[in-house]
Amino acid sequence: MLEHVQLDQKTINKDLLGGVLGTPSWWLPTVLFLTLVVFTGLGAFGYMMNKGLGVTGLNRPVFWGFFLVNFVFWIGISHAGIMISAILRLTQAEWRRPVTRAAEVMTVFSLMAALHTPLFHVGRPWRDFWVFPYDFARGVWPNVRSPFVWDPSAVMTYLIGSSLFVFIALIPDLAVVRDRAKNVWVKRLYSGLCLGWRGTPRQWKLQAVAGILLSALVLPVFVSVHSIVSWDFAVVIGVEGWHSTIFAPYFIIGAIHSGVSAVAMLMALGVWMWKLDKYIRPDHFDAIARLLIVVATTWFFFFFLEWVFALYTLEGPEIVLRELQVFQWPYSALFIVFIVTAYFIPVPMWMFKSVRRSAFWMLITTILVNVGMWLERFIIIIPGLLRRQPLTFDWGTYHPSIVEILIVAETFAFVALGMLLFSKLFPLIPLFDIKEGMTNRREFKIGRLTIPATVRE
Amino acid sequence: MASSARAAPHAPRHADPRVAEPPTSPSETTGFLVGKHLRLGDNFWRAVAVFGIFSILGVIGFVVRLGDGMGETAAWGYYVAMFSFIITAASAAPMVAIAPRMANSHWRRPISRAAELWSVVGLLSLLWFIPILWILPPLSDGRRSLWFFDMNHPNLVPSYTPHIWASAAILGLVVTGLALVWVSCLPDFASIARRAPEGSFQRRWSLWMARGWQGTSRQWHMVKRRMGILGAFYFMMLVFVHFLISVDFLMTLVPGWIDALYPVTHAANALQAAAATMVLTAWILRTFCGYERYIGLDQIWGLGKLMFALSLLWFWFWFSSFNVLWYGKMPFEQAVIELLITGPYLWVFMAVFMLVFVIPLWTLVWNPVRHSLWGPPLIAVGILVGTFLDRIRLYVAAYSVPGIGNPSVHKHVLDFDHLPKTVMPDIWDIFIMLGAIGLIALVYMAASRLFPIMNMWEQRELQLYDRGHAPYHRAHVRVMGKSE
Amino acid sequence: MLAKKSVLGLFPEGQEDMAADALDALREEGYTHSEYEIITGTPYPEGTFGEEEPKHTLFRWPLMGAACGFVVGLVLTSGTQLAYPLVTGGKPVLSIPPMSIIIYEGTMLGAIIFTVIGIVIESRLPRLFMGAYDERITEGYIGVAVTTDQDRVGKAEEVLKQVGAEEVKRGWES
Repeated sequence: MLEHVQLDQKTINKDLLGGVLGTPSWWLPTVLFLTLVVFTGLGAFGYMMNKGLGVTGLNRPVFWGFFLVNFVFWIGISHAGIMISAILRLTQAEWRRPVTRAAEVMTVFSLMAALHTPLFHVGRPWRDFWVFPYDFARGVWPNVRSPFVWDPSAVMTYLIGSSLFVFIALIPDLAVVRDRAKNVWVKRLYSGLCLGWRGTPRQWKLQAVAGILLSALVLPVFVSVHSIVSWDFAVVIGVEGWHSTIFAPYFIIGAIHSGVSAVAMLMALGVWMWKLDKYIRPDHFDAIARLLIVVATTWFFFFFLEWVFALYTLEGPEIVLRELQVFQWPYSALFIVFIVTAYFIPVPMWMFKSVRRSAFWMLITTILVNVGMWLERFIIIIPGLLRRQPLTFDWGTYHPSIVEILIVAETFAFVALGMLLFSKLFPLIPLFDIKEGMTNRREFKIGRLTIPATVRE
Repeated sequence: MASSARAAPHAPRHADPRVAEPPTSPSETTGFLVGKHLRLGDNFWRAVAVFGIFSILGVIGFVVRLGDGMGETAAWGYYVAMFSFIITAASAAPMVAIAPRMANSHWRRPISRAAELWSVVGLLSLLWFIPILWILPPLSDGRRSLWFFDMNHPNLVPSYTPHIWASAAILGLVVTGLALVWVSCLPDFASIARRAPEGSFQRRWSLWMARGWQGTSRQWHMVKRRMGILGAFYFMMLVFVHFLISVDFLMTLVPGWIDALYPVTHAANALQAAAATMVLTAWILRTFCGYERYIGLDQIWGLGKLMFALSLLWFWFWFSSFNVLWYGKMPFEQAVIELLITGPYLWVFMAVFMLVFVIPLWTLVWNPVRHSLWGPPLIAVGILVGTFLDRIRLYVAAYSVPGIGNPSVHKHVLDFDHLPKTVMPDIWDIFIMLGAIGLIALVYMAASRLFPIMNMWEQRELQLYDRGHAPYHRAHVRVMGKSE
Repeated sequence: MLAKKSVLGLFPEGQEDMAADALDALREEGYTHSEYEIITGTPYPEGTFGEEEPKHTLFRWPLMGAACGFVVGLVLTSGTQLAYPLVTGGKPVLSIPPMSIIIYEGTMLGAIIFTVIGIVIESRLPRLFMGAYDERITEGYIGVAVTTDQDRVGKAEEVLKQVGAEEVKRGWES
């Protein structure tokens, strides 16, 4: 294809290590600003620890507010990394090459961010470790029948698995940094990190097998994590609107929708901030946008089913809840914003090739999707808990306090900061994957048409 | 430099006899495939004889059952289960052509038509469906339904709902499928019309069906575009039909069974069965029908991976439903679990669980099995038997629930203590089951006479993109162009 | 026993054939595949340089890890519940669906950790001494390294030069 740019290894190193060996001028101010936001959020958390959960907007009957909405949101975002890199690796999709690393790293940081809010939320966070089976002295053990014990086991497995995945795929690139570093200490650091990588056929082969094997292993974990998060809600019978069998796949597909959108957003930012337009081509945006159309439509079908079956129960409280979600202020407004931003604006826009191939429009549409998907979780959790139904004696409402808003802002800043710090230490685009793509690339002509081809072993 | 030292340690992959090596010239491809289409082997007639006997038995079973009348729903459980099986195992198979075509996978090419051809069996499902319209009582008995028009009087639904909507949906699916096969066959009909003997039925039929196909770039563009649209539409119709069938003809019959995921599970089971159907079809075409130059390890392997992934999906969907219903511990949910899983059909469920999940998982995960010509077909038979039993477990159980159609029986809660007993098939049910299998095969075989079973033009198109094995320094690599 | 010495020949990007010739020449001189290896900055299709196919047993690692993880998960879930048998929600103390969830996570965690360890070990990492290596390899150069007995390293150096290596240098590995 005409838009492909064939580059040699030296140029690839120079381009993609620019952020590691040099520093873009916007980097430091951005990092300082994000650090400020993170510390403000942590300050709010300190204040909340000191005063208690009363400083939040949580009250009877809404005990799960912004914190849990945010938790589900970040768990959702974290699903993109593995989704993109594992599925595309397994299907040998060529366009995966520039996006896998950034997606995987986003998985790691958004998982950490996801852990923030529920751990802050428990009220006595210094006892968070009670979730681990540690108490040999008194013989008091966590209750494995509780979804709140399934949750940490799944999230920790996913966090460990995806971090190791990132590390393994990083080794060959760390060797490149080692060889390029001028400072002796930097050189020593990367020499240690890359474990003495040389680049023998054996090492390359294992790298390739590892990519496939770890993808195949992490993929089922990724499915389990959000399923388990959804069961935090779905196994409860007391809250109308939560007890639905569809929750696990519905949450997963929603997570993929928001997560893949976030990856597209990262790609657009890469083009804009790191000037990676030689590597992230309009073709790549086109491919991810096509994927998004399928994902978004599948998500919409699950959304439809969830609603149909809520009405199918023919139970008064369930239907009252749906009325609350759709027709009563302020949820009605939020509902409209949610459905329009999550589906009805972006998907029709992606139907146009010019939108799919534009970094700018992809950035805008994918931000919209994530606004919508954050609100989706809000609309599931908050109106659900307001439960205006028999035997509910508190008909409260919920307004987030400034403390909650600061902590939620902190998680966003945390992920951005994490990504920026990572990009300073490690290349965000896998160098060896790009180089392999260049080596395997062929072209041939059929008549006047140039056909891109790849080599298969 | 000695030449012996130069010998690369990697022999080119096509040394493997299991890998299909289609001819590289377009005329040879077309000539061979048209020849195959026009000639009938003895195996064909043998198969017709066997499946014909099955079909006759099926008709006998159906007529006897009909003699007992249609009022007793429990007696018709096996019949409805067979309808669901046809929709599951046959009507989903075209997806095996549609999805990889959208993803531009080359391996699908030799089997894409064989997959699309399964949509012709949709005609059988349509025929099979007609009696069910009388078996299923109207919604006025107070069941829950998808068709609530007035929230205050949820049972006031338009007459003949859901019968008319389900019929329309199945009809839509079948028509879309037939249109897809026809559009995809247009260029091939032109090839057959040119090569078939003067005055033969095949020549007249192909000439008429080709609709004056010439092969202008405009026509090619339209064929591809229409196939894309029809394919996407077929998928949506398929999901929609599974949604309607699994709710209106299954879930509503079991009071208290509220499982929002089940329609998707029903469709996902169909995709798994479809992959199995196609593995078997590909294997039969290779082994008995002389297509070994076209269908080989690549196809069986690709489909095997698909079956493996869909087996995992089967478990995930099943567990997602089961866990939520089990954990809630609500009496009516426990009754549903008892009826469908742990109670009268426990052994059937265990068999299903083994055949569609445990066995595929632990065999296909193993490379020597997955990457073989015999492994995936064997597992595919297991999956199809498992799906067959799964449909029986669910439909027979649902149709045996007492009080269907009786407005005086409470329709929102299933009584745990008065669950129906296991309904064993009688001889007529067995005849009906054999008939379903026989008719599926017969209709498919008839379809393969009217439409060529191998896509000739996609095969020729492959020749443009597959640059074959080329030396790359000391290695042999395969260079594959990316279409579109 | 004689000390091992290593030597490295460098070939610029695009000279894959020359590097392959170097391997042929070394083979002809009687060097075995445990003595020479090719080093590249990017994965090439297997066999590009006529090198021997690397054998590995990585597939055993996840199975071992999964087995360990499964056992740990099983012991942890059943052990803790039996040690502290608190009936909640009317569910049996040993409830299989919730236990299976945690056992599943344990199995997968075991499989992943063992796979990662397996990858590192099977890749012959970590490697403390780099031996014959050149920083230009990660810039596209192809290296042919020979690690052999002290008395045979000179011959290897000669062969590499003969084939046309741009530069031949000695490593410092013992």
